[in-house]
Amino acid sequence: MSIRHARAGLSGLAIALVPLSPGVAHEIVGNRFFPATLGIDDPGVNDELALPTVDSFKTGDVPPVRQRDISGEFSKRITEDFAVSFGSTYTFLGPTDPTAAGANGFQNLDTTFKYRVYKNAEHEFVMSVGLSVDWGGTGAKSVGADPFNTYTPNFYFGKGLGDLPDTLSWVRPVAITGQVGYAIPGSNSTTTFGIDPGSGLATVDTEFHPRVLNWGATIQYSMPYLKTAVVDLGLPDFVNRMIPLVEANLQTPVANTLTSGTMTTGTINPGVIWVGNTFQVGIEALIPINRQSGTNVGVIAQLHLFLDDIDPHGIGKPIFGNAVQPASPFARN
Amino acid sequence: MRRSNVFGMIPLLLLLAPGEASAHAMLDHAEPRVGNKVAAPPHEVTLWFTQKLEPAFSTVTVTDPAGKQVDTGKVRVSGNQMSVSLRPGGSGTYHVTWRVLSVDSHTTDGNFTFQVGQ
Repeated sequence: MSIRHARAGLSGLAIALVPLSPGVAHEIVGNRFFPATLGIDDPGVNDELALPTVDSFKTGDVPPVRQRDISGEFSKRITEDFAVSFGSTYTFLGPTDPTAAGANGFQNLDTTFKYRVYKNAEHEFVMSVGLSVDWGGTGAKSVGADPFNTYTPNFYFGKGLGDLPDTLSWVRPVAITGQVGYAIPGSNSTTTFGIDPGSGLATVDTEFHPRVLNWGATIQYSMPYLKTAVVDLGLPDFVNRMIPLVEANLQTPVANTLTSGTMTTGTINPGVIWVGNTFQVGIEALIPINRQSGTNVGVIAQLHLFLDDIDPHGIGKPIFGNAVQPASPFARN
Repeated sequence: MRRSNVFGMIPLLLLLAPGEASAHAMLDHAEPRVGNKVAAPPHEVTLWFTQKLEPAFSTVTVTDPAGKQVDTGKVRVSGNQMSVSLRPGGSGTYHVTWRVLSVDSHTTDGNFTFQVGQ
């Protein structure tokens, strides 16, 4: 799932722009294991299930709203390099003002089509492109789900630093991933007609739906990589399975911004992912970059299952083609 | 999350815990240890993986500091362990390159170095 805006708003409250969706996909490129990151989607194409992803934070509304989400996403490979994922999120909104009512409900369903364009094991580089569709009208308006579709073409990349020279061997476990998307709402504006209670005159309120640049990146230090490709320090297995990381998850309205403004919002997410053989768990803090992005430090956590490892001959294999490359098993890229 | 939901996930986590589950065969550890130094050239290199291997499609090569291949080419695979004997070599940095097929049909590869000398 791509970076997405959850327009969380109680009736009459301002719209909060916050990152919500969990990333899905992990990837192995040569020595490098790219984990599924929680904030942005990473460059991998695979069979997996992120369930659940839970988060909690206070939005940038005035007064702020306590938002809690629980979400899941299922990704299925159609071919070795092409996958489709389906995601859904249930949102709980609790106003900090005790006199205001809360709300809860589903966000719009989300579908992402993703194709791995290039993979280079020697340089630990992978690149993918995708299209995410937020299906308008499938969620609840009370939690800010849009009544129109939003289409987001995406570009993803991942680069491990394992090809650095021996003098920089301690930097080799570092990897960088990134995602850039351009969210295009299916509707340019929404017009609401009403009556002014003071004057009794008719009112017209138009909200323009901006086109938004969704951009983010991660920097990771892979302890599994350190142990198996650089130096085995004899650390406990629990430590050797950790990947500390920092994610940046940002949104910038760039067009049709008459009512939204162009301020960038988002969060910086330091955290850690622990990788098992068939699953990973991750937890990150959500640190808003400005007042409009949130009013306190939130938290996000995820359990992520590698279906290709849990059931490699069933649901974990591509529908067309095999996960194996039997024709030339020792051929290098 | 309610406590009952947390307890409900425990059997799932136990099911998924590292063990004999089918998964990509990743390098677990090696002897000589990855990135470490040994006093004398080893007689063999042994790699342990996180999964059982398919012997017919698993290989490892070792080159000495001069870039010359010093493994005998006869790779021995037993379960999740793969070994290859080495011909005598000199001091310096040795490069180990491996590629394996796990029993669940996933191919993985990688490389590392170790040092020989005082």
